[in-house]
Amino acid sequence: MIQSSYDSVIVRRIGAILVPLVQLFALYVLFFGQYGPGGGFVAGVMIGTSLIMDLLVFGREGKAPTAAERALSGDGIGLVVFAFVGGLCLIGGGEFLNYSDMPVPGIDGASRRYVGILLTQVGVAVDVAVAAVSIVFSLSRDDSLGVPHE
Amino acid sequence: MTDQIPALAFLAPFGTAICLPLVGHWRNGLCRPVAMAAVAVMAALSVAGLWGVYASGEIRYSLGGWEAPIGIEWVADKIAAIMIATICFVAGVSLVYGGVIEDRAMRGRAIPYYTMILLLIAGLAGAVYAADLFNIFVFLEVVALAGYALVGARGGRALMSAFRYLVMGALATTFYLLGLVYFYAATGALNIADLGGRVPGLLGSKAVLGGLIFIFIGLAIKMALVPLHAWLPDAYADAPDAVSPLLAGLVTKIALLVWLRIQYWAVAAESGDPAAHVFAVVSGLGIAASVGGAFLAMSQRELKRIFAYAGVSHVGLVLIGAGQANQTGLAGGLFYLANDAVMQCGLFVLAGVVAFRYQARSLDDVGRARIRNPWVLGAFVVVSLGMVGLPPTGGFFGKWYILLGALEAGNYLAVAAIVLTTLLTLAYLLRILERLFRNGGAARGSGSRSMPFALRLSLAAPPVAVIGLGICGDPIIKALLDSTSGLGL
Repeated sequence: MIQSSYDSVIVRRIGAILVPLVQLFALYVLFFGQYGPGGGFVAGVMIGTSLIMDLLVFGREGKAPTAAERALSGDGIGLVVFAFVGGLCLIGGGEFLNYSDMPVPGIDGASRRYVGILLTQVGVAVDVAVAAVSIVFSLSRDDSLGVPHE
Repeated sequence: MTDQIPALAFLAPFGTAICLPLVGHWRNGLCRPVAMAAVAVMAALSVAGLWGVYASGEIRYSLGGWEAPIGIEWVADKIAAIMIATICFVAGVSLVYGGVIEDRAMRGRAIPYYTMILLLIAGLAGAVYAADLFNIFVFLEVVALAGYALVGARGGRALMSAFRYLVMGALATTFYLLGLVYFYAATGALNIADLGGRVPGLLGSKAVLGGLIFIFIGLAIKMALVPLHAWLPDAYADAPDAVSPLLAGLVTKIALLVWLRIQYWAVAAESGDPAAHVFAVVSGLGIAASVGGAFLAMSQRELKRIFAYAGVSHVGLVLIGAGQANQTGLAGGLFYLANDAVMQCGLFVLAGVVAFRYQARSLDDVGRARIRNPWVLGAFVVVSLGMVGLPPTGGFFGKWYILLGALEAGNYLAVAAIVLTTLLTLAYLLRILERLFRNGGAARGSGSRSMPFALRLSLAAPPVAVIGLGICGDPIIKALLDSTSGLGL
C-alpha cells in the first residue's frame, strides 16, 4: 500500500522540516517529563508519529521506514530496558523498581531516582514508538493475514 | 532473599517472554529450550517461595518501595505459594508434552507461540500475587489476550472459537472493570486488604452491591460457570493439543481464585449481612454448575469436549465449597482448585497423546484404536480415580472437605449435588474407560511402539501429582485452614 514517495514537492519539503522537529520535541518531552507534562508514553507516540509521517511522505525507500522496519523485530527492547532497570534495583537489594537502591556508583538517592525513572521512560518510549509503527506496517501490508490452515 | 521471590517468580517467565523475539530472531530453535528454562527457573523459585512462606509467614511485596495503600502490593501467602507451584507444574508438563505434540506444526511460528505461552504463565502468576483489584484486572487481561491468540493458533475452525472466546472474554473484563469502578467510587480503595476494612460496613450501599454483582458476573464468565460457559468447550477443543492442558488447567481456576480472594478477603463474610445471601446464591450456582456440567459431559462424543465439560462441572464443586461460608468448605474448595488444575492438565495431556499417537479424537475412535500402551491406560485410570474422588488421590480429600463444609452448614442439597456429581463423573469417565479396555486381542501396530520419553514423562507426572497431593493432603489442608483463619468465618 505504501510504496513510493508522495507526489508533491510542498508536502515533501514540509515533511523534511517537520519530521526532525517532531523528533526533537519528542526528546524534549521525554527528558523533561518529570518536571512538566509529558513522559515516556507521549514521547513514544511522538517518535512513532514522526516515523509514520516519514513513511507516508517519503515512502518505503526513505531512511526512517527502513530503520523502523528493522526495529520491528526488536519489539520488546523497550520492555527489556524497563525490566533491566527494575532488575538492577533488585540486584541493589531493594524492591523491583525501587530506584533508590539502584547500584549506580557516585550519585545519591535523589539522582538515582532521577536516572531510574528516566531510563524506564526511555524504555516505555521505545516500546510505544515501535508499537505505533508496527500497527501502520501491519495495516499497510497486503498479506498480513498469514494464517495457515490445516 | 525469600522476600524478593514474588517479583522474581513473575519476572522469570515475563522477562523471558519479552526477550524471546530477540533470541528467536538469532536462533529460531532456541525458543523452546529458553521457554522451558524460564519455567524451570520459575518452578525452582516457587519451591523456594513455598519454603519461605512456610518458614517465615506471608510475604508482602511493595513494588518500587511504595507502601500498600499508595503503591502496588503483591501478597504471597500460603494460598498464593501453593497456586504458583501448581501453575509451574502444569506449565512444565504442558511444555514438555507440547514439544513432542505440536513442534512440527509450530516450527515456523515458534517465536509468537512460545512468547504467548510465557506471557500466559506470567499473567497467571501476576493475577495470583496481585493484591489490588486493578492489577488483578491487568493480569487477567494479559492471560486472556495470550489465551485468545493460543486458542486461534491452528487457524481454520479454531479462529471462530477464538473469536467467540474473545467476545465473551472482553465482555467479562468489561463487567469486572465496571464492578471495580463501583467499588472504587464507594470506598476510594482498590487494595484488597484496604477494602477488607471498608466494604463490610458499606454492604447496604447499592454501589458496593452493584460492584459485587458486576465483578461476579465478569469472573463467572471467565471461570465458565454454567449458564455462562458456552465459550469454553469450543475454545478448549479447538485449541492446539499442546496448549489445551495449559488453558484448561489454569485459566478458569485462576479466575475462580481471584473471585474467592475478592469475596472472602475484601467482602468479608458476616452472617446477618446481605453478604450471606451472596453465599446462598453462589452455593446454588455451584450446585447447578456441577450437576449441569456433568450432564453436559455425559452427552459429548469427543474426548476433549468431555474433559472440557468435566472442568466446567468441577468448577461448580469448588463453588459449592466456597459457598458454604465456613472455613472447612473454603479450604476444601481451594485444595480442590489446585487438584483440579492438575487433573485437567492430565486429562488434556491424555486426550492430546491419544489424538497424536492413535488419531483418536472421539469415543468411537478410542474404541477402535485398541490402545494397549500401559502409560496411557495407567495415567487415565489414576487421573480418573482423582476425578471421581477415591481415597489415595488429592481429589478425594478436596471433595471430602467440601462435603464436610456442606454438612457443617447443614446444606443437604449441596451434599446431594456433590454425591450426584461424583456418580455422574464416574459415569462419563467409565464410558471412556470401557472403550479403552474393550476389544481384547492384539494391539495395533502403533500401540506397541514405545512412547518417546517426553510423552511418558508428561503422562506420568499428573497421576503422580494427583496421588502426591492426596498423600500430602493433610499438611496442605492445614495450611489452607491456617491462612483462612483470619477471615472471621
